[in-house]
Amino acid sequence: MSEPQPVVSMRRIGKKFGGVTALHDVDLDASAGQVLAIVGDNGAGKSTLIKILTGVYQPTSGSIHLDGKPLEMNSHSDAKALGIDAVYQTLALADDLDPAANMFLGSELTRSFMGIPYLDNKTMRLEAVRVLDERLGVKLRSMDVATESLSGGQRQAVAIARAVYQPDLRVLVMDEPTAALGPQETARTLKLIKVLRDEGLTILLISHSLDDVFEVSDQIQIMRRGRRAGLVKTEDSSPKEVLGMIVGAAEDAA
Amino acid sequence: MTNQSPVTHADAGRSWQDRLEPYLAIIGPMAMIAMILIVMAILEPTRYFRASNFNIIFLEAALYMPMAMAMTFVITQRGIDLSVGSVAALTGIIMAFAMKQYGFAPWFAVGLAITTGALFGLINGLVITRFKVPDLIGTLAMDLVYRGFALVLAKGLVLARFPDLITDIGRGRIPGFIPIPVLIGLTTFVVGAFLLRKSWFGRYSIAIGSNPEAAEMTGISVNRYKIYAYVLMGAMAGLAGLMLTGKLNAIQATSAPYFNLHVIAAVVVGGTSLFGGRAYMLGSLAGVLLLSMMINALVTLRIEFFWQSVASGVVIILSVAFYTWLQKKDRDGSKGLLASLRTPENNKIYKLAGALVSALLVFVVLGFLFAADTTGSG
Repeated sequence: MSEPQPVVSMRRIGKKFGGVTALHDVDLDASAGQVLAIVGDNGAGKSTLIKILTGVYQPTSGSIHLDGKPLEMNSHSDAKALGIDAVYQTLALADDLDPAANMFLGSELTRSFMGIPYLDNKTMRLEAVRVLDERLGVKLRSMDVATESLSGGQRQAVAIARAVYQPDLRVLVMDEPTAALGPQETARTLKLIKVLRDEGLTILLISHSLDDVFEVSDQIQIMRRGRRAGLVKTEDSSPKEVLGMIVGAAEDAA
Repeated sequence: MTNQSPVTHADAGRSWQDRLEPYLAIIGPMAMIAMILIVMAILEPTRYFRASNFNIIFLEAALYMPMAMAMTFVITQRGIDLSVGSVAALTGIIMAFAMKQYGFAPWFAVGLAITTGALFGLINGLVITRFKVPDLIGTLAMDLVYRGFALVLAKGLVLARFPDLITDIGRGRIPGFIPIPVLIGLTTFVVGAFLLRKSWFGRYSIAIGSNPEAAEMTGISVNRYKIYAYVLMGAMAGLAGLMLTGKLNAIQATSAPYFNLHVIAAVVVGGTSLFGGRAYMLGSLAGVLLLSMMINALVTLRIEFFWQSVASGVVIILSVAFYTWLQKKDRDGSKGLLASLRTPENNKIYKLAGALVSALLVFVVLGFLFAADTTGSG
């Protein structure tokens, strides 16, 4: 099977925080319409790697290519402008605002009256309902309530909707999307991930739950002590093998 | 059908709260306003319920309206401004000097007052965002600075007698219509309500107060919007200084002593949360009216002026406690008031309180027992 051209490729990424080396020459390739899961123990370098991809950190060495072109990012906004966005574990929602306001937070739709722009709450609400329904298959009971009163899965959907509303979104990073969710909500979120994958997005999923990883991912990249300890095709692997690579059992045996 | 009924039931119960929620901010102050009206109807109906008295109430309330509007934004962002009283006094004095000593035309003096206030607000905002001084300490310290400058400028002078424009702004009346300051105050609230619902500033103020980290992550310039709020606050405090000067036709360095507490009380009574994220513009307006009615009631009942500070403080505590209680999700879990008071933790506090009261009693008793003759020293 021929590999599709990766949308994002990170080459020999290194990152040092003072004297501590968080990443050593890590590679990462992710393709369109695929879910790449990144797993690893705490402190293995997953988050650092992802933060470099989303422009939050700048790498000490190595290069990032998007569609084969080298990237230079100085902030998260740069990454967003290039079509790389992330849904954080904390979701970054303002709980007192309604779902539509949250979805458009930071990129509000406006109208103007005599040259004075103002927020177009009505259109934002209609668009929020449309995006949630059409792209994510989520219907909220009310668009007037504070986001705080929504369930964990619905809040997640609002946060995802914010990311996918950008028309030029290419790469979506999801950091522990199911960590705080119950079984039903988890199933729903995994379904969302599949929906987005089928729309052709490149998805990077960070998760501690191997069940989730094996359900949705196409490839699994295992991180260990700041290095890529392995890269497997999900269908050819097993949770046991991946777990062994996470804890370094194979390495110790060798 | 049958298995759907519990869902609809829970739904109905929830929507009842949802429907009530937006009006909570109004119900609180309205209930208290009704209470004042009832009490006054019993105690002093003839002197309280007079058109001239209500005119006094509205004139008093108008003075606080612009500041309450701006303070709603500041508090929504989890900030607080304890310098508004001094900013009002200092801008009033600067404006007065500009007209009296340098012959400024009244219109320019008006513009000067508002922009000077805005500039002081900018300084507050920069102190808080650039020097990272917490809002409470930063504005408290700047309160001392502004008050100090007011005293330095005016010494003990009372500057009085201003042009008609100034007194019109402070206490004028459009014939057959409402007083000009009330019109100004209500206009600021209309602008405030628009800003809150329809502007980036209002939206981001709620976002910042609700979750500052999230606001930052979505690319909102948190510090810039905080500065905007303080600039608005300063401008409105400047406007209040101008209105106060016009209302009294006089200004001095010690004017506006209780503005801070009064404005914060009005906003908090109106349901805007001191913990940020919840803004109720209409509630702030109702809060301003409530406080003015309360203070007027105290005056009508011939209670000493100094009690109004006590009353404002008590109103702040009560309303914050009330809204916090409303927010508490699981009230059903607690076993009634008495049971919750008898926890081991509380028993320790009772012991401490008991010890303090007994110590106090000992000192009072000893003080009286060994009291010296006071006639000589007095």
